[in-house]
Amino acid sequence: MSVAPTRFPAYSRARMESPVHPAVPRHAGSSEAAIASAADIRSGLTENLPRLWRYGLVLSHQRDVADDLVQATCLRALERADQFIPGTRLDRWLFSILHSIWLNEIRSRRVRQGQGFVDAGEALTFDGAHDTETQVMAVQVLKRVNALPEAQRTVVFLAYVEGLSYREFAGILDIPIGTVMSRLAAARAKLSDDGREGGRQ
Amino acid sequence: MNTRDTIPSDEDLTAFIDGELTAEEAARIETLANEDEAVAERLEFLSRASLPFEQAFAPLLSAAPREKLEKMLAAIPAPASAKSGSPPASATRRRFLGALAASLVAGIAIDRAVIGIGRGLPARDENSEWRAVVADYISLYTRETLTGPVPAPDVQAAQLDALDEKLGLSLSPEAVSLPGIDFKRALLLQYDGKPLAQIAYLDPETGPLALCIVRSDAGPKAPDLESRKGMNVVYWSNRTHAFMLIGHAPAERMQQLAEDTRNRLSA
Repeated sequence: MSVAPTRFPAYSRARMESPVHPAVPRHAGSSEAAIASAADIRSGLTENLPRLWRYGLVLSHQRDVADDLVQATCLRALERADQFIPGTRLDRWLFSILHSIWLNEIRSRRVRQGQGFVDAGEALTFDGAHDTETQVMAVQVLKRVNALPEAQRTVVFLAYVEGLSYREFAGILDIPIGTVMSRLAAARAKLSDDGREGGRQ
Repeated sequence: MNTRDTIPSDEDLTAFIDGELTAEEAARIETLANEDEAVAERLEFLSRASLPFEQAFAPLLSAAPREKLEKMLAAIPAPASAKSGSPPASATRRRFLGALAASLVAGIAIDRAVIGIGRGLPARDENSEWRAVVADYISLYTRETLTGPVPAPDVQAAQLDALDEKLGLSLSPEAVSLPGIDFKRALLLQYDGKPLAQIAYLDPETGPLALCIVRSDAGPKAPDLESRKGMNVVYWSNRTHAFMLIGHAPAERMQQLAEDTRNRLSA
């Protein structure tokens, strides 16, 4: 699927699509085996950067905030590498760090520079030439999810995109199962309603 | 859902759709849906929200500025606080001795080498560590990072208020304004568990510039100049906070800007 960002000259398309796959993370194989755990976290971070960024974008609707969130998450994860419990899922741990940084440090202060919020659905344009039905559908889904209140949007994203179980919400994000259920139920009711009224637009 | 006859709530039905119920609970919902049209309808209604979420969000993964994020990650130094990190220190020492030996062989004056190395490794005290981290961070900024309009004074004030609250400061747009340089945003970050205020500017001539502030009880210190990541840093502190102004402007200009800022902040 070909996607190009609009409005964000800072991330030119050429740059985004540049060769990427940084074969092996440069640092991963570093000789200092003594700090294996920090190195593991680092390579785990490298792998999960796009997913963390996407979550940051879903939360904030702003690319620069997503950038900052990922950076703060990297810093915190490396600082606290010794708190990661081997054998548990690193991605979930990283998500929980990003989530708490967002809640505790950034969200309440996001009086941001003039540009305001950008609808993540609008932040993406799809190549007109390949305007397939699937893509139109994808944009519709993005828009509908992004129109949900933050609390609902977050659980919908984590449950239905990232695949968190109810139990993981409670354990990792510190959201009680009952709360997760009521948010998901409210989100479903809203999404279904949207579908009924405006789905054909 | 204790009682057999309870009409299932939206929560129950959602958990059913999500496959989060026990077999027993799920069976109960199924029975109810078979027997009760209203339940069946509600279930069908909520199921309509089972959209192709995963596919819809997939493009956002490729929209991530992967290269930039990787550079950012690579720029984060291995935590100096890692207590287990002593082997690297000895490795450094070995390398250092090796370098010394090599320089002897090459006939290079040792004192020069030592001075050079000493300058390359700024003192590893707590007070310089945060500046190293900030320098890493700011080095990733480009003009494009800070494009966009200059926020109106009331917006600036609101952003600064947020920092004030966390850091026990009282910053005003006037106090942090730099002559001929645009204020771009005030942002709360965190370093080592402590709030870190970052006020970012864009200098039309030299690019990104930032004033960063943390709480510090290390005591007052007159401004000093250092170079980090190819940028000039002027840092100082008062009784309660440590400050740094970092940017690509020439040292003299940075010192002048820092001096002005320092005066206005203490006014």
